[in-house]
Amino acid sequence: MTDFQTPALPSFPLRALRFFANSREVTLLGLIIILSVTMTLVYPNNFPTPSNISAVLLNAAQNGILVSGMMLLMIAGAFDLSIGSTLALAGVWSGIAAARYGFSPIAAIFVGIAIGAVAGFINGYIVTRIKINPLIATLATLSIFRGFTYVTGGTGINPITDDFKAYGQSVFFGLQTPFWVMIFVVVIAAWLVAKTRFFRQYYFIGGNPKAAKLSGIQVDRLVMIAFIIMGTLAGLTGVLQAARLNSAMVTIGVNVELGVITATVLGGASLKGGEGSVIGAVLGVLFIALVNNAMIINSVGIFWQGIVVGSVLLLAVSLDAYKGATR
Amino acid sequence: MAKKLARKTALATGVNRENGGHNTSASAMSVRLMVRDLTKTFPGVRALDSVAIEIATGEVHALLGENGAGKSTLGKIVGGVYLRDGGIIELDGIALTLTDEAQAGKLGIAIVHQEGSLVRQLSIADNIFAGRQPTGFLGRVDQKIINARSTKLLAQLGSDLDPKRRVAELSSAQMQIVEIAKALSQDLRVLILDEPTAALTLTETEKLFDVIRRLKATGVSIIYVSHRLAEIFQVCDRVTVLKDGRVTGVRDVQKTTTDELIRLMVGRDVHFMRDTSKRKYGGIALAIDSLEALPFVRKASFDVKAGEILCLAGLVGSGRSETCETIFGIRKQSAGSVWVDGELVAFAGPWDAMAAGVGMVPEDRKEAGLFLTQDIARNISVTVLGKVSNNGLIDENLSEKLAENFIKELRIATPSAKRVVGDLSGGNQQKVLIAKWLAMEPKVLIVDEPTRGVDVGARSEIYRLLRELAGKGMALIVVSSDLPEVLTLADRIVVMADGRTVGEIAGEGATEEAVLKLATRFTSTSNTATIGAAA
Repeated sequence: MTDFQTPALPSFPLRALRFFANSREVTLLGLIIILSVTMTLVYPNNFPTPSNISAVLLNAAQNGILVSGMMLLMIAGAFDLSIGSTLALAGVWSGIAAARYGFSPIAAIFVGIAIGAVAGFINGYIVTRIKINPLIATLATLSIFRGFTYVTGGTGINPITDDFKAYGQSVFFGLQTPFWVMIFVVVIAAWLVAKTRFFRQYYFIGGNPKAAKLSGIQVDRLVMIAFIIMGTLAGLTGVLQAARLNSAMVTIGVNVELGVITATVLGGASLKGGEGSVIGAVLGVLFIALVNNAMIINSVGIFWQGIVVGSVLLLAVSLDAYKGATR
Repeated sequence: MAKKLARKTALATGVNRENGGHNTSASAMSVRLMVRDLTKTFPGVRALDSVAIEIATGEVHALLGENGAGKSTLGKIVGGVYLRDGGIIELDGIALTLTDEAQAGKLGIAIVHQEGSLVRQLSIADNIFAGRQPTGFLGRVDQKIINARSTKLLAQLGSDLDPKRRVAELSSAQMQIVEIAKALSQDLRVLILDEPTAALTLTETEKLFDVIRRLKATGVSIIYVSHRLAEIFQVCDRVTVLKDGRVTGVRDVQKTTTDELIRLMVGRDVHFMRDTSKRKYGGIALAIDSLEALPFVRKASFDVKAGEILCLAGLVGSGRSETCETIFGIRKQSAGSVWVDGELVAFAGPWDAMAAGVGMVPEDRKEAGLFLTQDIARNISVTVLGKVSNNGLIDENLSEKLAENFIKELRIATPSAKRVVGDLSGGNQQKVLIAKWLAMEPKVLIVDEPTRGVDVGARSEIYRLLRELAGKGMALIVVSSDLPEVLTLADRIVVMADGRTVGEIAGEGATEEAVLKLATRFTSTSNTATIGAAA
């Protein structure tokens, strides 16, 4: 039993099948294609229209940016519940900076992103220095950041300014800015996380934090950086939302964290850490956006969306648990 | 069919011979537990292959074997933890269908395994009667009764623990006593102890043996799963040896020898020889002077030369591992100094130590060493991410090539570098762990318990490897609780006790007695007799 036979390499079709079953990315892509094709065939007048597709993609933009950061955190075995509050705080303050203090749009955007980064730093500090687990730490800051948003933002700013609006509403190739920013963020994040030596370290941290530290990885510093990246991306999302709506709303982003974590787990992250890819998470976002769109077109009640998305998530995770148990 | 029959006959004769040779004990007592044709398969592994054992009332019966021999699996099946694929288990002549641990408990079969089954937040008494508390009006738990009964049960085991204490406050030895008391609270007939001394100090081990003897006197049969030979000679009556899921022999402990048991375990004679060829030492590679990291390290001083194997010996809790952790930058040093290549250093963390050419193979392979869900290539490359990347980009080919070199060099049994490390055997995992540190080409390598949980075959390979490394000029600091291992490997032995380095012995010609004398000089509670036995 201490040594074992080398298993014979299975035949090609079997290998292909295993590849499909083992790769969450491929499974999701398959589901997305099946869903799109079905919708196109059943609702040729409603689904494959440019306006519908761009609406779906625009809706996916916010979560697409956020999952890039969340996936990194979850690979490292952590997560951030405060992102909805962070993005509200960042959006409101960039709006206030532009409308009340006459900041140029670029400066106002910078203010929002910086607020996000600071929020991320605070989360990272609590988790890595005070050693409070991410669930409790970010649950607390979720409430604190939201409180700050209410206290400092009052009833919000509406409208902000026309200059500022341009950064959220400009259209390129039929799609609005947030989508293009999302593409930019996702491509860079996917490449960095998959290929670079620096981000590879996060897989070790999530896989076994103690062993990672003993292997010379500066665990606390890296987790801190991941929280700052997450906060920065939440700030960016908040600013984009404010610009797109030309309104800084204090209530924006409530419950965003749930959708983002759902998509991240659907995309292959494990709560234990050490697994997942940014591409998977983004496909998770896209899949959820498509399901929602399909249900709207089907005129299924909006309340059913939660039931369907939740069930798909459970199904995906159960499949993993089953695979884990039979290994 | 014929083959199977032959095996059965062989076993039967083995047992008979036992009875014949030991008329007074075995035949006078009735058979308590009988297992026949037991089979268990895990995915890809036949863990047990028509195994048979027979245990008498009041017998302490050892299951002995290397890692992966199937001894733990056998214990866990009898204890109801795993379900068997086939075979018969009879308790006092009645065939059993075991479904789970709780049901086995009701039948009088209890297992105490390493993972433990106690709820840390609850009191000792609550744990002993978990789920079976005697209740009064409206289901109120009568705390007085369970406390009183717990006190009695603990007293039966020779323990005066207060049953009102929370389990979280107990040492692992005390928790084990509570687990046994819990088993005893039901009509206990068979007690299975799975590697019971793994987490115990020597004095605690002696206490456990005392408990075992008390239970034996009351007629409880005990299955003692272990790979520590010395313990078997101390406390067991008979031993069944397993190898690769099959019984290779049943022996009366009085009539067998260590050599014979090892032969049955590995199928050949194994002797670890000292390396007689003299190595050339270089300059002092690492030195520490009056190192202190309270409360574990109080005053440690030693040095190690390039090409030398320095062993740190001492009792559990003497501060050996903690000293190494302080050198490596994991523990904060409160006083003293560390030099590497003659330069004073103070490492803020392992990354600093590694930059200075110091590596450390930790003691706990699974908890602190490996990334079990990741493949071999990734596990090995973690210490040298810079080496396997170009311009900050990971080059998977380089990482795999690196891993393949080590697979060849250290003879790691695996079909490829892409194999997930959690799927490898203990010995091969240990080799991956060492490879991970060799990859960074350290000048000084600290190895904490190089062969823990490693079978005899892999053990000799690891010794050979460590000697080779020293031969290439690496300075090695080896921490080991296994005295024969220390005597086999060490060029020089530094003994620690109570956080201090208390003496130094040349490796050549050193004896266990000499080491133990130093190790126990400052500890009044332990006596040399128990220490000698545990090695």
